[in-house]
Amino acid sequence: MKKLWTTFIKDVKLSYSGLYFYIEIGMAAIFLAVMLFVVPENFDKTQTYYAFIEVDEIRDEFDGRVFENDGTRVELFDDREGLEQALSKKRSAVGLHVYMEDSKPVVEFVLQGYEGPEMKQMLKQTVEGGLLAELPTYEDLTTVTVLEPGTERLSDRVSMLPPYLVINVAFMGLFVIAAYVFLDKEEGVIKAFAVTPVKVWHYLASKIMIMAVMGLVTSTLVVVSLVGFKINYLLFFGLILSFNVFGSTLGLLITSFFDSMTKAMGALFLSIFILVFAGFSYFMPSFSPVWIKFLPSYPMFFSFRELFLENGDTGFIIQNILLFLGLSAVLFAYTNLRFKKTLTV
Amino acid sequence: MISVKNLYHSYTHDDVYAVNNVSFEIAKGEVFGFLGPSGAGKSTTQGVLTGLLPLQKGEVTVAGYDMRRRNRQMFNKIGVSFEQSNVYNKLTALENLEFYKKLFDVKTEDPMKLLEIAGLSEVAKHKAGTFSKGMKHRLTFVRSMLNNPELWFLDEPTTGLDPAIGRQIIDIVKQKKSEGTTVFLTTHNMNVADELCDRIAFIIDGEIKLIDSPRNLKLQFGEKLVVVDHIVNGITKREQFSLIDPADMARLNTLISTGQIEMMHTKEATLEEIFIKVTGRGLE
Repeated sequence: MKKLWTTFIKDVKLSYSGLYFYIEIGMAAIFLAVMLFVVPENFDKTQTYYAFIEVDEIRDEFDGRVFENDGTRVELFDDREGLEQALSKKRSAVGLHVYMEDSKPVVEFVLQGYEGPEMKQMLKQTVEGGLLAELPTYEDLTTVTVLEPGTERLSDRVSMLPPYLVINVAFMGLFVIAAYVFLDKEEGVIKAFAVTPVKVWHYLASKIMIMAVMGLVTSTLVVVSLVGFKINYLLFFGLILSFNVFGSTLGLLITSFFDSMTKAMGALFLSIFILVFAGFSYFMPSFSPVWIKFLPSYPMFFSFRELFLENGDTGFIIQNILLFLGLSAVLFAYTNLRFKKTLTV
Repeated sequence: MISVKNLYHSYTHDDVYAVNNVSFEIAKGEVFGFLGPSGAGKSTTQGVLTGLLPLQKGEVTVAGYDMRRRNRQMFNKIGVSFEQSNVYNKLTALENLEFYKKLFDVKTEDPMKLLEIAGLSEVAKHKAGTFSKGMKHRLTFVRSMLNNPELWFLDEPTTGLDPAIGRQIIDIVKQKKSEGTTVFLTTHNMNVADELCDRIAFIIDGEIKLIDSPRNLKLQFGEKLVVVDHIVNGITKREQFSLIDPADMARLNTLISTGQIEMMHTKEATLEEIFIKVTGRGLE
């Protein structure tokens, strides 16, 4: 253990004076600045409608030129040209042109062009539903129930934290640790190290420890700044450590199959690319095919999510900490075997 | 100290061997030179002996350790100096040595003493990245002395260095030799090999062509002649005398006793000439 500690301290000194440490710190600082000064606590989800209403009976319903109600904002225009100009400036707005044709009111939606058929259909049905509701015999029998009634939602700002943390501790770890090993190979110091009575696993473990320290420092800096002390930091450190060790070990395993960073780049990018897929499920919960749940990054995203929820599933978090520590141990044993053969080849 | 029997090594894992059926033994306290041109298989052999390359085929024992069942404890007895300097550029010279010192389980040298030997004590606290090529080479060299190795691998220890630094390194090796250290010297510098080695092996195309002491090789391959520059009627004249032909020997004796000799020397073959004679190839 003394030799592991000695190697670790040497790696701390090298990292401190190296580029990657500052890249990670810089990334954390940029992310923090964007979260604090650009991303609001919650995004404005109000839907804006620009309307040109040529039917006096309908227009008289509105009091003034702007009408706001329950997440909807309607702004009236005096002509079609003004409506289209306003739409071209606000790409998320929807236009409405209401006019009479053959003594019947016609509702024409003026859209931006990027909307899909589903959206067009939904807008159409909204109008039809609204008209139906005006019938004297109409009775609203629609009810909404959910499978998980107590489901909490993260604020928009905090919901960006799990992706950042997964990228910072797992994906970056995978890439940076490979860079560290190849740098040692390139400078030849790995050969000098290999002719000392130090075990190969000491070398590998020291690199993983460096990544873990960097991951802990940068992640804690960001999380404390954004959510303060509202979360269980013991579980947070557990998640950071276990995911970081897993990502770093995976990076080492990939590294063991190549003799230069250039050759390993393809495999590293491919691994990160595949792992990123779990992010789609995180942002779009309706997209969660079975195969995506087998990606290691899937439980990573959702463990962090549970951590930030007020009543998150602690059991799920602990289960994943243990799972990833176990997986890392198996992966590390195999990686060590591979490096015994390939460290200096 | 080292026993190599029928060693083969292929980088392509086929019948193209970088080292082809190499066998030799090195006794404790011996300085053994491994000589050959670039790409001859010197570094590959040293790579297998130091565990940097896996043992594919053959039997190799180093410092009592079977290289097929490598034990990292063997590196407590071994020192390796590399041809290419490989120090941590972002650490100081002293930090470099102190780091490696802590990795050994045996009594080690004082890093400052080693830096003094290498002429680097003045820059002990300077980062190695600021050093010249020669300074880095000396740091790499003295790092291999940290654990007072019983067996010392030196790969081209003087290549690329200015003559004064090269001389310092040769003197250090001589000192260690006198203390009983076994040295495996890989070089293509015949003068260094001639000066330091008890025995040398010529290796070319992965095969050992010859193993013997420099003296025996010179006796075996050198011409037994004496060249004499002497003055006849005020003019310097150069003549060669065979040390085998009785008539020549008689004339030489007469010249020594009655002539006016300016210079006289035996015409020994250099190791380089012997290498070319044996292998048919030069060393570069």
